[in-house]
Amino acid sequence: MADLKHLRALHEAILNMDLEGIGAIAQAAMDAGVEPQAAITDGMVPGMVEVGQKFEEGEFFLSELVVAGEVMKDGMKVIEPYLTVGAGSSDSKAKAIVATVEGDYHDIGKNIVVTLLGVQGFEAIDLGMDVPAAKIVEEVRIHRPAVLGLSALLSTTMARMGDVIEALKAAGLREGVKVIVGGTPVTPEYADSIGADHCALNAIEGVHKCTEWLIDLKEGK
Amino acid sequence: MAEMTRRERMLKASRRQMADRVPFFHNWRHCQQGWAERDCRNRGMGLSWARPSYTFTWHGVEVTETYESFTTATQTLRRTFKTPVGTISQVEKREPGYGQWHGVRGWRDVTPWQTERAIKGPDDYKVLKYMYENLEIEPDYFGLEQAKDWLGEDGMVWDWVPHAGLQLLMIDWVGSEGGRFFVHHARYPDLVEEMYHAISKAYEPLWEIAASSPADFFLLADNVDAVLVNPKLFKKYFMPEWEKCCTALHGGGKLVGVHADGRLAALKHLIPETPIDVIEALHVPQMGDLSLGEALALWPEKVIWTGFPGSVYALGPQATKRQALAMLRDMGTGERVCFEMSTENQVSNENLLALTSVLEHATLPLTPEKIDEIERSLK
Repeated sequence: MADLKHLRALHEAILNMDLEGIGAIAQAAMDAGVEPQAAITDGMVPGMVEVGQKFEEGEFFLSELVVAGEVMKDGMKVIEPYLTVGAGSSDSKAKAIVATVEGDYHDIGKNIVVTLLGVQGFEAIDLGMDVPAAKIVEEVRIHRPAVLGLSALLSTTMARMGDVIEALKAAGLREGVKVIVGGTPVTPEYADSIGADHCALNAIEGVHKCTEWLIDLKEGK
Repeated sequence: MAEMTRRERMLKASRRQMADRVPFFHNWRHCQQGWAERDCRNRGMGLSWARPSYTFTWHGVEVTETYESFTTATQTLRRTFKTPVGTISQVEKREPGYGQWHGVRGWRDVTPWQTERAIKGPDDYKVLKYMYENLEIEPDYFGLEQAKDWLGEDGMVWDWVPHAGLQLLMIDWVGSEGGRFFVHHARYPDLVEEMYHAISKAYEPLWEIAASSPADFFLLADNVDAVLVNPKLFKKYFMPEWEKCCTALHGGGKLVGVHADGRLAALKHLIPETPIDVIEALHVPQMGDLSLGEALALWPEKVIWTGFPGSVYALGPQATKRQALAMLRDMGTGERVCFEMSTENQVSNENLLALTSVLEHATLPLTPEKIDEIERSLK
Protein backbone atom coordinates (compact mmCIF):
# COMPACT_ATOMS: atom_id res chain seq x y z
CA MET A 1 0.00 0.00 0.00
CA ALA A 2 2.84 2.35 0.99
CA ASP A 3 4.55 1.42 -2.27
CA LEU A 4 1.42 2.27 -4.19
CA LYS A 5 1.37 5.74 -2.66
CA HIS A 6 4.94 6.40 -3.76
CA LEU A 7 4.42 4.92 -7.21
CA ARG A 8 1.36 7.11 -7.65
CA ALA A 9 3.36 10.17 -6.53
CA LEU A 10 6.08 9.40 -9.09
CA HIS A 11 3.45 8.96 -11.80
CA GLU A 12 1.80 12.27 -10.86
CA ALA A 13 5.13 14.09 -10.79
CA ILE A 14 5.76 13.09 -14.40
CA LEU A 15 2.24 13.92 -15.49
CA ASN A 16 2.29 17.30 -13.74
CA MET A 17 5.82 18.06 -14.98
CA ASP A 18 6.92 18.66 -11.39
CA LEU A 19 10.56 19.57 -11.92
CA GLU A 20 10.89 21.07 -8.46
CA GLY A 21 9.31 18.18 -6.60
CA ILE A 22 10.56 15.06 -8.39
CA GLY A 23 13.86 14.86 -6.51
CA ALA A 24 12.16 14.73 -3.11
CA ILE A 25 9.42 12.41 -4.35
CA ALA A 26 11.93 9.94 -5.78
CA GLN A 27 14.06 10.12 -2.63
CA ALA A 28 11.01 9.51 -0.43
CA ALA A 29 10.21 6.42 -2.49
CA MET A 30 13.74 5.08 -2.07
CA ASP A 31 13.74 5.88 1.67
CA ALA A 32 10.46 3.99 2.04
CA GLY A 33 12.05 0.91 0.49
CA VAL A 34 10.26 0.97 -2.85
CA GLU A 35 12.10 -1.31 -5.29
CA PRO A 36 14.05 1.05 -7.58
CA GLN A 37 13.09 -0.95 -10.67
CA ALA A 38 9.42 -0.72 -9.68
CA ALA A 39 9.78 3.02 -9.10
CA ILE A 40 10.84 3.32 -12.71
CA THR A 41 8.64 0.80 -14.49
CA ASP A 42 5.50 1.09 -12.34
CA GLY A 43 5.85 4.74 -11.32
CA MET A 44 7.56 7.01 -13.79
CA VAL A 45 7.16 5.04 -17.03
CA PRO A 46 3.35 4.87 -16.77
CA GLY A 47 3.48 8.64 -16.19
CA MET A 48 5.43 9.06 -19.43
CA VAL A 49 3.01 6.75 -21.22
CA GLU A 50 0.12 8.95 -20.12
CA VAL A 51 1.99 12.08 -21.23
CA GLY A 52 2.60 10.37 -24.57
CA GLN A 53 -1.10 9.56 -24.88
CA LYS A 54 -2.06 13.15 -24.15
CA PHE A 55 0.45 14.28 -26.76
CA GLU A 56 -1.07 11.90 -29.30
CA GLU A 57 -4.53 13.20 -28.50
CA GLY A 58 -3.43 16.82 -28.94
CA GLU A 59 -4.01 17.73 -25.30
CA PHE A 60 -0.29 18.10 -24.65
CA PHE A 61 2.26 19.71 -26.93
CA LEU A 62 5.95 19.21 -27.50
CA SER A 63 6.81 21.44 -24.53
CA GLU A 64 4.98 19.09 -22.14
CA LEU A 65 6.61 16.03 -23.69
CA VAL A 66 10.07 17.56 -23.31
CA VAL A 67 9.55 18.79 -19.75
CA ALA A 68 8.03 15.47 -18.63
CA GLY A 69 11.15 13.81 -20.06
CA GLU A 70 13.29 16.18 -17.99
CA VAL A 71 11.34 15.31 -14.86
CA MET A 72 11.95 11.64 -15.58
CA LYS A 73 15.68 12.29 -16.03
CA ASP A 74 15.81 14.08 -12.66
CA GLY A 75 13.95 11.20 -11.02
CA MET A 76 16.36 8.71 -12.58
CA LYS A 77 19.32 10.60 -11.10
CA VAL A 78 17.94 9.87 -7.64
CA ILE A 79 16.87 6.28 -8.30
CA GLU A 80 19.76 4.98 -10.39
CA PRO A 81 22.28 4.70 -7.52
CA TYR A 82 19.84 2.29 -5.83
CA LEU A 83 19.62 -0.02 -8.82
CA THR A 84 21.59 -3.23 -8.44
CA VAL A 85 23.89 -4.30 -11.26
CA GLY A 86 21.94 -5.93 -14.04
CA ALA A 87 18.62 -4.43 -13.07
CA GLY A 88 17.00 -2.46 -15.83
CA SER A 89 19.19 -4.09 -18.42
CA SER A 90 18.10 -3.29 -21.92
CA ASP A 91 19.52 -6.50 -23.41
CA SER A 92 16.09 -7.88 -24.19
CA LYS A 93 14.74 -4.71 -25.80
CA ALA A 94 14.50 -4.28 -29.53
CA LYS A 95 16.79 -1.54 -30.74
CA ALA A 96 15.89 1.40 -32.91
CA ILE A 97 18.50 3.79 -34.29
CA VAL A 98 17.31 7.28 -35.13
CA ALA A 99 19.23 10.07 -36.86
CA THR A 100 18.80 13.36 -38.65
CA VAL A 101 20.68 13.02 -41.91
CA GLU A 102 23.82 14.86 -42.94
CA GLY A 103 23.47 18.57 -43.62
CA ASP A 104 20.34 18.94 -41.51
CA TYR A 105 20.35 20.34 -37.99
CA HIS A 106 16.69 19.88 -37.12
CA ASP A 107 15.87 17.45 -34.37
CA ILE A 108 12.45 18.26 -32.94
CA GLY A 109 10.58 15.51 -34.79
CA LYS A 110 13.43 13.06 -34.28
CA ASN A 111 13.45 13.73 -30.55
CA ILE A 112 9.72 13.15 -30.28
CA VAL A 113 10.22 9.82 -32.02
CA VAL A 114 13.08 8.90 -29.68
CA THR A 115 10.97 9.71 -26.61
CA LEU A 116 7.94 7.81 -27.86
CA LEU A 117 10.03 4.81 -28.94
CA GLY A 118 11.39 4.63 -25.40
CA VAL A 119 7.86 4.78 -24.02
CA GLN A 120 6.89 1.91 -26.34
CA GLY A 121 9.67 -0.31 -25.01
CA PHE A 122 12.38 0.16 -27.61
CA GLU A 123 15.98 0.86 -26.76
CA ALA A 124 16.22 4.03 -28.83
CA ILE A 125 19.73 4.96 -29.93
CA ASP A 126 19.80 8.63 -30.90
CA LEU A 127 22.68 9.47 -33.22
CA GLY A 128 21.81 13.17 -33.25
CA MET A 129 21.81 15.63 -36.13
CA ASP A 130 23.93 16.07 -39.26
CA VAL A 131 24.91 12.39 -39.26
CA PRO A 132 26.81 11.15 -42.33
CA ALA A 133 25.60 7.99 -44.08
CA ALA A 134 28.84 6.16 -43.25
CA LYS A 135 28.34 6.79 -39.53
CA ILE A 136 24.74 5.54 -39.66
CA VAL A 137 25.79 2.37 -41.49
CA GLU A 138 28.54 1.76 -38.96
CA GLU A 139 26.08 2.10 -36.06
CA VAL A 140 23.67 -0.30 -37.79
CA ARG A 141 26.54 -2.76 -38.17
CA ILE A 142 27.38 -2.49 -34.46
CA HIS A 143 23.89 -2.49 -32.93
CA ARG A 144 21.90 -4.50 -35.49
CA PRO A 145 18.69 -2.57 -34.77
CA ALA A 146 15.24 -3.75 -35.77
CA VAL A 147 14.44 -0.26 -37.01
CA LEU A 148 16.37 2.63 -38.51
CA GLY A 149 14.60 6.00 -38.46
CA LEU A 150 15.88 8.79 -40.69
CA SER A 151 14.71 12.38 -40.38
CA ALA A 152 15.07 15.48 -42.58
CA LEU A 153 13.28 18.82 -42.43
CA LEU A 154 14.53 20.28 -45.67
CA SER A 155 13.77 19.24 -49.22
CA THR A 156 17.43 19.95 -49.89
CA THR A 157 18.61 17.37 -47.33
CA MET A 158 16.02 14.62 -47.71
CA ALA A 159 18.02 13.19 -50.61
CA ARG A 160 20.59 12.10 -48.02
CA MET A 161 18.06 9.54 -46.74
CA GLY A 162 18.33 7.75 -50.07
CA ASP A 163 22.11 7.84 -49.76
CA VAL A 164 21.86 6.04 -46.41
CA ILE A 165 19.64 3.31 -47.88
CA GLU A 166 22.05 2.81 -50.77
CA ALA A 167 24.97 2.64 -48.32
CA LEU A 168 23.11 0.03 -46.26
CA LYS A 169 22.60 -2.05 -49.40
CA ALA A 170 26.26 -1.71 -50.33
CA ALA A 171 27.23 -2.88 -46.85
CA GLY A 172 24.87 -5.87 -47.02
CA LEU A 173 22.84 -4.56 -44.07
CA ARG A 174 19.61 -3.47 -45.75
CA GLU A 175 17.71 -6.74 -45.36
CA GLY A 176 18.18 -6.89 -41.61
CA VAL A 177 16.61 -3.56 -40.73
CA LYS A 178 13.32 -1.78 -41.37
CA VAL A 179 13.93 1.76 -42.57
CA ILE A 180 11.39 4.41 -41.72
CA VAL A 181 11.80 7.96 -43.02
CA GLY A 182 10.08 11.14 -41.94
CA GLY A 183 10.15 14.90 -41.72
CA THR A 184 8.11 17.74 -43.10
CA PRO A 185 8.97 17.42 -46.82
CA VAL A 186 9.01 13.62 -46.95
CA THR A 187 6.05 12.04 -48.74
CA PRO A 188 5.09 8.37 -49.18
CA GLU A 189 5.88 8.71 -52.89
CA TYR A 190 9.33 10.00 -52.08
CA ALA A 191 9.89 7.27 -49.48
CA ASP A 192 8.97 4.67 -52.11
CA SER A 193 11.30 6.22 -54.63
CA ILE A 194 14.31 5.83 -52.33
CA GLY A 195 13.38 2.33 -51.17
CA ALA A 196 12.33 3.05 -47.60
CA ASP A 197 9.95 0.63 -45.86
CA HIS A 198 7.64 3.34 -44.57
CA CYS A 199 7.06 7.08 -44.56
CA ALA A 200 6.06 8.38 -41.13
CA LEU A 201 3.28 10.90 -41.62
CA ASN A 202 4.11 12.22 -38.16
CA ALA A 203 6.03 11.07 -35.12
CA ILE A 204 3.09 9.26 -33.57
CA GLU A 205 2.10 7.35 -36.70
CA GLY A 206 5.73 6.46 -37.25
CA VAL A 207 6.16 5.03 -33.77
CA HIS A 208 2.95 3.02 -34.17
CA LYS A 209 4.43 1.51 -37.33
CA CYS A 210 7.63 0.62 -35.48
CA THR A 211 5.55 -1.05 -32.76
CA GLU A 212 3.68 -3.07 -35.41
CA TRP A 213 7.01 -4.21 -36.85
CA LEU A 214 8.16 -5.16 -33.36
CA ILE A 215 5.06 -7.32 -32.84
CA ASP A 216 5.63 -8.93 -36.24
CA LEU A 217 9.24 -9.58 -35.30
CA LYS A 218 8.25 -11.22 -32.02
CA GLU A 219 5.70 -13.34 -33.82
CA GLY A 220 8.34 -14.36 -36.34
CA LYS A 221 6.59 -12.75 -39.32
CA MET B 1 -7.63 47.73 -68.68
CA ALA B 2 -3.85 47.67 -68.90
CA GLU B 3 -2.11 44.62 -67.48
CA MET B 4 -0.92 45.16 -63.94
CA THR B 5 2.77 45.17 -63.16
CA ARG B 6 4.13 42.41 -60.98
CA ARG B 7 4.47 44.82 -58.08
CA GLU B 8 0.93 46.13 -58.48
CA ARG B 9 -0.38 42.57 -58.57
CA MET B 10 1.42 41.55 -55.39
CA LEU B 11 0.30 44.69 -53.56
CA LYS B 12 -3.31 44.45 -54.73
CA ALA B 13 -3.63 40.86 -53.52
CA SER B 14 -1.87 41.67 -50.27
CA ARG B 15 -4.38 44.47 -49.65
CA ARG B 16 -7.26 42.04 -50.21
CA GLN B 17 -8.13 43.65 -53.54
CA MET B 18 -8.70 41.83 -56.84
CA ALA B 19 -5.58 41.68 -58.98
CA ASP B 20 -5.74 40.84 -62.68
CA ARG B 21 -4.20 37.41 -62.08
CA VAL B 22 -2.79 35.34 -59.25
CA PRO B 23 0.51 36.97 -58.31
CA PHE B 24 3.45 34.59 -58.34
CA PHE B 25 6.99 35.46 -57.44
CA HIS B 26 10.34 34.09 -56.41
CA ASN B 27 12.27 35.20 -53.35
CA TRP B 28 15.61 36.77 -54.20
CA ARG B 29 17.60 34.54 -51.90
CA HIS B 30 16.17 31.31 -53.27
CA CYS B 31 15.97 32.24 -56.94
CA GLN B 32 18.31 31.09 -59.64
CA GLN B 33 19.37 33.53 -62.35
CA GLY B 34 19.48 32.36 -65.92
CA TRP B 35 17.45 31.48 -68.97
CA ALA B 36 14.59 29.75 -67.16
CA GLU B 37 14.26 32.46 -64.56
CA ARG B 38 14.29 35.09 -67.33
CA ASP B 39 11.66 33.15 -69.26
CA CYS B 40 9.44 32.81 -66.18
CA ARG B 41 9.81 36.48 -65.37
CA ASN B 42 8.85 37.38 -68.92
CA ARG B 43 5.73 35.27 -68.39
CA GLY B 44 4.68 37.09 -65.24
CA MET B 45 6.80 35.85 -62.37
CA GLY B 46 7.73 38.64 -59.97
CA LEU B 47 10.60 38.92 -57.55
CA SER B 48 10.58 39.71 -53.88
CA TRP B 49 13.54 41.22 -52.17
CA ALA B 50 14.04 41.64 -48.41
CA ARG B 51 16.22 44.40 -47.01
CA PRO B 52 16.22 45.73 -43.46
CA SER B 53 15.45 49.37 -42.69
CA TYR B 54 17.69 49.53 -39.64
CA THR B 55 21.08 48.78 -38.13
CA PHE B 56 21.92 47.28 -34.73
CA THR B 57 24.71 48.56 -32.45
CA TRP B 58 25.46 46.73 -29.21
CA HIS B 59 26.97 49.40 -26.92
CA GLY B 60 29.47 48.18 -24.34
CA VAL B 61 29.73 44.78 -26.02
CA GLU B 62 33.01 43.58 -27.47
CA VAL B 63 32.27 41.12 -30.27
CA THR B 64 35.08 38.92 -31.54
CA GLU B 65 35.04 36.14 -34.10
CA THR B 66 37.61 33.37 -34.40
CA TYR B 67 37.72 30.42 -36.75
CA GLU B 68 37.92 27.08 -34.98
CA SER B 69 38.31 25.39 -38.34
CA PHE B 70 38.67 26.84 -41.79
CA THR B 71 38.62 25.50 -45.28
CA THR B 72 37.30 27.40 -48.25
CA ALA B 73 34.36 24.97 -48.20
CA THR B 74 33.39 24.89 -44.54
CA GLN B 75 34.18 27.10 -41.60
CA THR B 76 33.47 26.75 -37.91
CA LEU B 77 33.33 30.16 -36.31
CA ARG B 78 33.12 31.10 -32.64
CA ARG B 79 31.55 34.50 -31.95
CA THR B 80 32.12 35.88 -28.47
CA PHE B 81 30.15 38.67 -26.81
CA LYS B 82 32.09 40.23 -23.94
CA THR B 83 30.17 42.60 -21.69
CA PRO B 84 30.82 44.21 -18.29
CA VAL B 85 28.55 41.57 -16.69
CA GLY B 86 30.02 38.48 -18.37
CA THR B 87 30.82 36.75 -21.62
CA ILE B 88 28.83 34.41 -23.84
CA SER B 89 29.78 32.73 -27.07
CA GLN B 90 28.16 30.77 -29.86
CA VAL B 91 29.53 28.58 -32.64
CA GLU B 92 28.25 28.53 -36.18
CA LYS B 93 29.03 26.21 -39.03
CA ARG B 94 29.19 27.75 -42.47
CA GLU B 95 28.66 25.45 -45.39
CA PRO B 96 29.78 25.65 -49.01
CA GLY B 97 28.28 28.66 -50.70
CA TYR B 98 28.14 30.88 -47.64
CA GLY B 99 28.82 34.48 -48.61
CA GLN B 100 28.33 33.71 -52.29
CA TRP B 101 24.71 34.91 -52.23
CA HIS B 102 22.90 31.64 -52.77
CA GLY B 103 22.35 28.27 -54.22
CA VAL B 104 25.44 26.15 -54.21
CA ARG B 105 24.42 22.82 -52.71
CA GLY B 106 22.35 23.44 -49.66
CA TRP B 107 20.23 25.94 -47.95
CA ARG B 108 22.55 27.11 -45.24
CA ASP B 109 24.58 29.27 -47.55
CA VAL B 110 22.56 32.25 -46.35
CA THR B 111 21.99 31.44 -42.69
CA PRO B 112 24.68 29.29 -41.09
CA TRP B 113 23.85 26.53 -38.62
CA GLN B 114 24.40 27.30 -34.97
CA THR B 115 26.08 24.29 -33.45
CA GLU B 116 26.65 25.80 -30.00
CA ARG B 117 24.21 28.20 -28.42
CA ALA B 118 25.14 31.41 -26.62
CA ILE B 119 22.71 30.74 -23.78
CA LYS B 120 23.91 27.54 -22.21
CA GLY B 121 22.85 27.96 -18.59
CA PRO B 122 21.12 30.37 -16.23
CA ASP B 123 24.21 32.55 -15.73
CA ASP B 124 24.21 33.51 -19.41
CA TYR B 125 20.89 35.33 -19.31
CA LYS B 126 22.27 38.40 -17.55
CA VAL B 127 24.79 38.88 -20.37
CA LEU B 128 22.14 38.68 -23.07
CA LYS B 129 19.90 40.99 -21.06
CA TYR B 130 22.73 43.52 -20.84
CA MET B 131 23.15 43.30 -24.61
CA TYR B 132 19.50 44.04 -25.31
CA GLU B 133 19.37 46.79 -22.71
CA ASN B 134 22.28 48.42 -24.54
CA LEU B 135 21.10 47.84 -28.07
CA GLU B 136 20.71 50.86 -30.28
CA ILE B 137 18.58 50.49 -33.39
CA GLU B 138 18.94 53.22 -36.00
CA PRO B 139 17.26 53.80 -39.36
CA ASP B 140 19.17 52.98 -42.52
CA TYR B 141 16.91 53.13 -45.56
CA PHE B 142 19.60 53.04 -48.25
CA GLY B 143 19.31 49.32 -48.93
CA LEU B 144 15.56 49.51 -49.36
CA GLU B 145 15.74 52.59 -51.57
CA GLN B 146 18.41 51.01 -53.74
CA ALA B 147 16.51 47.72 -54.11
CA LYS B 148 13.28 49.56 -54.95
CA ASP B 149 15.13 51.54 -57.59
CA TRP B 150 16.72 48.42 -59.06
CA LEU B 151 13.61 46.25 -58.99
CA GLY B 152 11.10 48.87 -60.10
CA GLU B 153 7.78 47.31 -61.06
CA ASP B 154 9.28 43.82 -61.46
CA GLY B 155 8.38 42.85 -57.92
CA MET B 156 8.22 43.96 -54.34
CA VAL B 157 10.90 45.03 -51.90
CA TRP B 158 10.06 44.44 -48.29
CA ASP B 159 11.50 45.35 -44.95
CA TRP B 160 12.02 42.57 -42.46
CA VAL B 161 13.39 41.29 -39.20
CA PRO B 162 14.59 37.66 -38.99
CA HIS B 163 13.08 36.91 -35.58
CA ALA B 164 11.55 38.97 -32.80
CA GLY B 165 10.36 38.51 -29.24
CA LEU B 166 10.33 34.97 -27.94
CA GLN B 167 11.45 33.53 -31.30
CA LEU B 168 14.84 35.13 -30.76
CA LEU B 169 15.21 32.95 -27.69
CA MET B 170 13.61 29.83 -29.15
CA ILE B 171 15.44 29.88 -32.45
CA ASP B 172 18.59 31.94 -32.00
CA TRP B 173 19.92 32.39 -28.49
CA VAL B 174 18.70 29.34 -26.55
CA GLY B 175 17.68 27.16 -29.48
CA SER B 176 15.14 24.39 -29.65
CA GLU B 177 17.26 21.38 -30.50
CA GLY B 178 16.69 18.68 -27.91
CA GLY B 179 13.84 20.80 -26.56
CA ARG B 180 16.39 23.19 -25.02
CA PHE B 181 14.10 26.18 -24.94
CA PHE B 182 11.31 24.26 -23.20
CA VAL B 183 13.74 22.98 -20.60
CA HIS B 184 14.95 26.52 -19.92
CA HIS B 185 11.38 27.81 -19.84
CA ALA B 186 10.50 25.17 -17.24
CA ARG B 187 13.66 25.40 -15.14
CA TYR B 188 14.28 29.16 -15.28
CA PRO B 189 10.87 30.73 -15.92
CA ASP B 190 11.76 34.08 -14.37
CA LEU B 191 14.94 34.44 -16.43
CA VAL B 192 13.11 33.61 -19.67
CA GLU B 193 10.29 36.00 -18.80
CA GLU B 194 12.69 38.85 -17.98
CA MET B 195 14.65 38.20 -21.16
CA TYR B 196 11.52 38.22 -23.30
CA HIS B 197 10.50 41.61 -21.87
CA ALA B 198 14.01 43.02 -22.38
CA ILE B 199 13.97 41.97 -26.05
CA SER B 200 10.46 43.24 -26.55
CA LYS B 201 11.37 46.65 -25.15
CA ALA B 202 14.60 46.81 -27.15
CA TYR B 203 12.66 46.26 -30.38
CA GLU B 204 10.18 49.11 -29.86
CA PRO B 205 12.33 51.61 -31.81
CA LEU B 206 12.58 49.09 -34.66
CA TRP B 207 8.83 49.13 -35.20
CA GLU B 208 8.85 52.94 -35.34
CA ILE B 209 11.78 52.98 -37.79
CA ALA B 210 10.06 50.40 -39.99
CA ALA B 211 6.82 52.39 -39.90
CA SER B 212 8.62 55.29 -41.60
CA SER B 213 10.62 53.21 -44.08
CA PRO B 214 10.18 53.32 -47.88
CA ALA B 215 8.86 49.71 -47.89
CA ASP B 216 5.17 48.90 -48.34
CA PHE B 217 5.43 45.60 -46.54
CA PHE B 218 7.17 44.36 -43.40
CA LEU B 219 7.89 40.71 -42.73
CA LEU B 220 8.28 39.22 -39.28
CA ALA B 221 10.25 36.17 -40.34
CA ASP B 222 9.25 34.31 -37.20
CA ASN B 223 9.17 30.77 -38.67
CA VAL B 224 6.02 30.00 -36.73
CA ASP B 225 5.27 26.31 -36.30
CA ALA B 226 2.76 25.08 -33.74
CA VAL B 227 4.95 22.08 -33.01
CA LEU B 228 7.22 24.51 -31.19
CA VAL B 229 4.87 27.41 -30.55
CA ASN B 230 1.95 25.89 -28.71
CA PRO B 231 -1.25 27.91 -28.18
CA LYS B 232 -0.26 28.89 -24.63
CA LEU B 233 3.06 30.32 -25.76
CA PHE B 234 1.41 31.92 -28.78
CA LYS B 235 -1.14 33.75 -26.67
CA LYS B 236 1.29 34.85 -24.00
CA TYR B 237 4.27 35.89 -26.07
CA PHE B 238 3.48 36.15 -29.77
CA MET B 239 0.13 37.89 -29.89
CA PRO B 240 1.23 40.85 -27.71
CA GLU B 241 4.44 41.27 -29.69
CA TRP B 242 2.62 41.20 -33.02
CA GLU B 243 0.09 43.66 -31.65
CA LYS B 244 2.90 46.07 -30.76
CA CYS B 245 4.57 45.66 -34.14
CA CYS B 246 1.34 46.04 -36.14
CA THR B 247 0.14 49.07 -34.18
CA ALA B 248 3.27 50.96 -35.18
CA LEU B 249 3.47 49.67 -38.75
CA HIS B 250 -0.19 50.04 -39.57
CA GLY B 251 0.15 53.59 -38.29
CA GLY B 252 2.74 54.12 -41.02
CA GLY B 253 0.47 52.56 -43.65
CA LYS B 254 2.47 49.34 -43.92
CA LEU B 255 1.26 45.82 -44.42
CA VAL B 256 2.65 43.24 -42.00
CA GLY B 257 3.25 39.58 -42.72
CA VAL B 258 4.49 36.68 -40.65
CA HIS B 259 6.60 33.84 -42.00
CA ALA B 260 4.58 30.84 -40.86
CA ASP B 261 5.72 27.88 -42.91
CA GLY B 262 5.11 25.23 -40.30
CA ARG B 263 2.10 23.33 -39.05
CA LEU B 264 -0.52 25.87 -38.02
CA ALA B 265 -3.64 23.79 -37.29
CA ALA B 266 -3.19 24.09 -33.53
CA LEU B 267 -3.13 27.89 -33.88
CA LYS B 268 -5.83 28.22 -36.52
CA HIS B 269 -8.40 29.78 -34.19
CA LEU B 270 -5.90 32.21 -32.66
CA ILE B 271 -4.43 33.53 -35.91
CA PRO B 272 -7.60 35.50 -36.81
CA GLU B 273 -7.31 37.31 -33.48
CA THR B 274 -3.96 38.79 -34.50
CA PRO B 275 -3.63 42.04 -36.47
CA ILE B 276 -1.25 40.44 -39.00
CA ASP B 277 -2.23 41.13 -42.64
CA VAL B 278 -0.38 38.35 -44.48
CA ILE B 279 0.37 34.78 -43.50
CA GLU B 280 3.52 34.24 -45.50
CA ALA B 281 4.83 30.85 -46.71
CA LEU B 282 1.83 28.81 -45.61
CA HIS B 283 2.59 25.24 -46.63
CA VAL B 284 -0.29 22.95 -47.50
CA PRO B 285 -0.32 19.28 -46.45
CA GLN B 286 1.78 17.19 -46.26
CA MET B 287 4.44 19.77 -45.39
CA GLY B 288 1.89 21.80 -43.45
CA ASP B 289 -1.39 20.76 -41.86
CA LEU B 290 -3.88 23.28 -43.25
CA SER B 291 -5.17 23.36 -46.80
CA LEU B 292 -5.44 26.64 -48.66
CA GLY B 293 -9.21 26.33 -48.71
CA GLU B 294 -9.46 25.81 -44.99
CA ALA B 295 -7.03 28.63 -44.21
CA LEU B 296 -8.88 31.06 -46.49
CA ALA B 297 -12.19 30.14 -44.88
CA LEU B 298 -10.86 30.36 -41.35
CA TRP B 299 -9.04 33.65 -41.86
CA PRO B 300 -11.30 35.88 -43.98
CA GLU B 301 -9.35 39.00 -43.02
CA LYS B 302 -5.95 37.54 -43.92
CA VAL B 303 -4.04 37.27 -47.16
CA ILE B 304 -2.06 34.09 -47.77
CA TRP B 305 1.21 33.94 -49.59
CA THR B 306 1.45 30.23 -50.10
CA GLY B 307 4.84 28.56 -50.33
CA PHE B 308 5.05 25.87 -52.97
CA PRO B 309 5.94 22.56 -51.27
CA GLY B 310 9.52 21.50 -51.89
CA SER B 311 8.58 17.85 -51.46
CA VAL B 312 6.52 18.10 -54.65
CA TYR B 313 9.41 19.60 -56.56
CA ALA B 314 11.35 16.46 -55.63
CA LEU B 315 8.83 14.44 -57.67
CA GLY B 316 9.41 16.43 -60.87
CA PRO B 317 7.63 18.79 -63.28
CA GLN B 318 4.48 16.71 -63.84
CA ALA B 319 3.87 16.43 -60.10
CA THR B 320 4.55 20.17 -59.83
CA LYS B 321 1.86 20.94 -62.40
CA ARG B 322 -0.65 18.62 -60.71
CA GLN B 323 -0.01 20.20 -57.32
CA ALA B 324 -0.30 23.73 -58.72
CA LEU B 325 -3.65 22.90 -60.33
CA ALA B 326 -4.88 21.32 -57.09
CA MET B 327 -3.91 24.43 -55.17
CA LEU B 328 -5.69 26.68 -57.68
CA ARG B 329 -8.81 24.54 -57.28
CA ASP B 330 -8.62 25.05 -53.53
CA MET B 331 -8.44 28.85 -53.75
CA GLY B 332 -12.04 29.71 -54.57
CA THR B 333 -12.08 32.82 -56.72
CA GLY B 334 -8.38 33.30 -56.02
CA GLU B 335 -8.10 36.73 -54.49
CA ARG B 336 -6.22 36.96 -51.18
CA VAL B 337 -3.57 34.52 -52.42
CA CYS B 338 -0.06 34.96 -53.79
CA PHE B 339 2.19 32.09 -54.84
CA GLU B 340 5.78 31.99 -53.70
CA MET B 341 7.76 29.73 -56.00
CA SER B 342 9.82 28.36 -53.12
CA THR B 343 11.06 29.11 -49.66
CA GLU B 344 14.03 26.82 -50.18
CA ASN B 345 16.83 26.72 -52.71
CA GLN B 346 17.31 24.31 -55.54
CA VAL B 347 14.18 24.73 -57.60
CA SER B 348 15.23 23.21 -60.89
CA ASN B 349 14.68 25.11 -64.12
CA GLU B 350 12.21 22.39 -65.21
CA ASN B 351 10.15 22.77 -62.05
CA LEU B 352 10.19 26.56 -62.20
CA LEU B 353 8.96 26.43 -65.80
CA ALA B 354 6.32 23.83 -64.90
CA LEU B 355 4.89 25.96 -62.11
CA THR B 356 4.97 29.05 -64.30
CA SER B 357 3.15 27.18 -67.08
CA VAL B 358 0.19 26.81 -64.71
CA LEU B 359 0.25 30.14 -62.92
CA GLU B 360 0.79 32.36 -65.96
CA HIS B 361 -2.76 31.59 -67.06
CA ALA B 362 -4.41 32.01 -63.66
CA THR B 363 -6.40 35.16 -64.34
CA LEU B 364 -8.79 36.38 -61.66
CA PRO B 365 -11.41 35.67 -60.64
CA LEU B 366 -10.65 31.96 -60.87
CA THR B 367 -13.42 29.59 -61.90
CA PRO B 368 -13.43 25.79 -62.15
CA GLU B 369 -13.86 26.15 -65.92
CA LYS B 370 -10.85 28.42 -66.16
CA ILE B 371 -8.72 25.92 -64.23
CA ASP B 372 -9.96 23.10 -66.48
CA GLU B 373 -8.85 25.20 -69.43
CA ILE B 374 -5.41 25.69 -67.89
CA GLU B 375 -5.16 21.94 -67.36
CA ARG B 376 -6.08 21.25 -70.99
CA SER B 377 -3.49 23.75 -72.18
CA LEU B 378 -0.76 21.79 -70.43
CA LYS B 379 -1.41 18.59 -72.39
